[in-house]
Amino acid sequence: MTYLGASLLPIGALATVLLNGVQEDAAKQGRDQGVAQAAVIAEMAVAPALDAADLSRGLTESERDSLARATDLALIHGSVLRMRLRTFTGQVVYSDDGSTSGGVPVSDPAFHSATVGVAGATTIEDATEAGGKVIRVLQPVFARASGEAIGVLELYLPYDKIDQRLHEQMAVTYWRLGGGLGVLYLALGLISWSTTRSLRRYAARQEHEALHDGLTGLPNREAFRQRATAALREEKGGAVVVVDLNRFKEVNDTLGHHAGDELLKVITARLRGGVRQQDTVARLGGDEFALIVPAAGADDVRAMLESLRTVLSSEVVLDGVPLTIEASFGIALYPAHGTEVEELLRHADAAMYQGKRGTADIVVWAGERTRHPTQWLVVQAELRHALDRDELVLFYQPKVSLDDGTICGVEALVRWQHPERGLLPPSEFLPAAEQSGLIEPLTAWVLRRALTDQVAWVAAGRDWTVSVNVSARNLEAADFAGMVEAMLAEFGTAPDRLVLEVTETAMVDDRATSMAAIDRLAGRGIGFSVDDFGTGYTSLERLRGMPLVELKIDRTFVATVLEEKENQAIVHAVIALSRGLGCRVTAEGVETAEIADWLAAAGCDEAQGYHYSRPMPWTQISVPMPEAVR
Amino acid sequence: MKKLLIPMLALALLAGCGTKADEATGQGAVQVDQALHDSLPQAVRDRGYIRFVTDASYAPMESFAADGRTIVGFEPDLADAIGQVLGIKIQIVTGPFQTALDKVADGTYEGVLSAMTDTAEREKKADFVNYFSAGSSIIVQRGNPHRIADLTGLCGTVVAIEKGTIQADLLHRSQSGCDGRPMKINEYTTNADALLQLRTGRAVAVLNDFPTATHLATDSRTKDYYELASTTQYDPGLIGIPFAKGNSQLRDAVKGALDRVVAEGIYADLLQRWNLSSGAVKAVSINGATQDQKA
Repeated sequence: MTYLGASLLPIGALATVLLNGVQEDAAKQGRDQGVAQAAVIAEMAVAPALDAADLSRGLTESERDSLARATDLALIHGSVLRMRLRTFTGQVVYSDDGSTSGGVPVSDPAFHSATVGVAGATTIEDATEAGGKVIRVLQPVFARASGEAIGVLELYLPYDKIDQRLHEQMAVTYWRLGGGLGVLYLALGLISWSTTRSLRRYAARQEHEALHDGLTGLPNREAFRQRATAALREEKGGAVVVVDLNRFKEVNDTLGHHAGDELLKVITARLRGGVRQQDTVARLGGDEFALIVPAAGADDVRAMLESLRTVLSSEVVLDGVPLTIEASFGIALYPAHGTEVEELLRHADAAMYQGKRGTADIVVWAGERTRHPTQWLVVQAELRHALDRDELVLFYQPKVSLDDGTICGVEALVRWQHPERGLLPPSEFLPAAEQSGLIEPLTAWVLRRALTDQVAWVAAGRDWTVSVNVSARNLEAADFAGMVEAMLAEFGTAPDRLVLEVTETAMVDDRATSMAAIDRLAGRGIGFSVDDFGTGYTSLERLRGMPLVELKIDRTFVATVLEEKENQAIVHAVIALSRGLGCRVTAEGVETAEIADWLAAAGCDEAQGYHYSRPMPWTQISVPMPEAVR
Repeated sequence: MKKLLIPMLALALLAGCGTKADEATGQGAVQVDQALHDSLPQAVRDRGYIRFVTDASYAPMESFAADGRTIVGFEPDLADAIGQVLGIKIQIVTGPFQTALDKVADGTYEGVLSAMTDTAEREKKADFVNYFSAGSSIIVQRGNPHRIADLTGLCGTVVAIEKGTIQADLLHRSQSGCDGRPMKINEYTTNADALLQLRTGRAVAVLNDFPTATHLATDSRTKDYYELASTTQYDPGLIGIPFAKGNSQLRDAVKGALDRVVAEGIYADLLQRWNLSSGAVKAVSINGATQDQKA
């Protein structure tokens, strides 16, 4: 609109200039016409009558007569209104009414220019004439063939007819000009309107794109931040929820990105459908979503998420493959858990990771205890590089036979030679690896290194089995069993020289893939061991079907076994259980000779702990270990 | 040595400046010749100007400019040069050609500057200072509709001519060759009037001095109407300024001034400017018509 207004200004200016020009041109045209008429009158009527006249001496009677005859008709008919013939000094030697007075003053520039040969016309007001105007022409009289000027002719010509014609012409010009400018203005207006409109649309689209995710159309991280900030400002209390899909990466890897995108759309629709009108669903990136749930308490939010989880986990068919997607929810309540958006997000994120590690899918942030997962992201990124740069090292802790004190096997324990933080124990990075796909390459690396080292120590005359820790995720992976088999074949290792240690928690997972992998590998002769036995939720019923070679009693029972009766009872029970299952028992965390003695007395087969050796590179493990023998 | 050098350098610089200044003045105008100025008659010097009469209808010798008041041409320019040498103003006054010589004789004007040919007849009334030579040519309408080739071809036709010119005289003399088919010779006050007759077909020819005739046939404003019947120049003669008998003091002063104008190259320059170089004379003479006859 301003643009339209602004364009009116130059158009107005243009119109003014053009109209002025037209008016000036018309006036000049009128005067020029007067001059042209006067020139004809002077040459055809006046000059022939004055051949050889010398005006300074006045006119002869015959000259006067012929001049009168030549001009009478024009005067009578009004083609000429008045006429005077004057000398260069201004004297009137002839006039239409016989008077010798009046006329243009000699000092008038128009008179002067006529005396030097230049004709000129002026329109002057004359109320007595039609139209109120006349044209006065002053022009030299060239009376002779030689072109000599003899005086000045002062003619008054009617202007009304010229004026009328000029007015008609001007009216036509005005219409054309007005029409032209109008069309120009219209064109400018249309251009400006369409330009403004497309600019506005473009700006709106840009703004939408800046704040929305292209795939799902959901608000993006930035928009989430803005809306969350606004929600926080309302001071009604509420929650920020982070939603993470549990096996999204697998969908992406196995079915392709297209399927991944489809899944995200489906999830988006379900999330949208599962929240209230006033809630916000945003996509923070990847398979990570976030919700803003304003004006709601922890219970409300939890209740809503329970139903949302149900909706989300209903079956999806992608490319003909039926899938069940589960999500983890992390909740941070405001203002209780933070007053800044970033802080709330961090806390919700932490809670969500805690849920992923545990069994709960919906976790409310419970303080700084869950802080570390946020560092996991850094750790994960660094660990990825660590694998590439070979910063990992394998340490081994011997398993000692309580019968004779000989080393019967070693457990491979991974360490990370971190470029900045020094040598890191597994607790610093394994959970992070566990939580990402990194656990697979990591386990593969450990397995390969352990088998390599085993080849070396066998060559050095040591007949140790090697135990490698395997996570639940490994067992779930598509072809874990195949990978292990290929590696055994590669190193020519006998299957019974390898023991895979699985945590109880991993065994809880009753997934067909895991069980199939365990059965397949056990069938090959590879030993399976239950790590940290007694701390998890292992169902005894499950142990029944497991092809186990070893149970490892968790260090928590072993450390205080001498002082606490209950622990003694548990250790006895586990030993008894293993006997029944037909596998051996290994005690972890044996730190003193007394405990070792007690365990031996209790019938435990093997022991592992600082009492014998800390984890170390296999080359440093000393054999035999006299100290270790009872 | 140094003391000597500086004044010498200064001198050299001054000398340099001096020559440059001379050249500069030489470009603009002729310097007044004091001796010639002093040789002017006392009456003329007292009055402060010399008046020459002319009929300004004879381009390129003299004609009116577009304003109808200013007279331009070779002769006005020559008059300016003479005036500069003499240190006196020369006024050009228009008047009929026919009566011009009489006006000089009676002292109304000091001389005629109107491309007047020096003849023995005219020398009876005046003394001529001659500065140009030309013959007469026949001008006809463009395309020469009456096939005029020479003077005898004009027999039985109407010829327009300016009164009192040698061309009028030539026509009258040529009547003798017309054998019962005489020309009708119409005479007019100015050359322009005569040319108007030719232009409008009321006459079949006009006779002019050759340079004027050539100018009419070549100038862009007139060439569409006129052309030369032939390149023949009849009665070639000298053109000059007549002075009254007994005004030899002024005559000689003007002659002296013209000599200077010729000597300094101004004459040649002016002739070239007006495309009249073919009519140049080698030297300015007095009463060349009778002198020639004597020779």
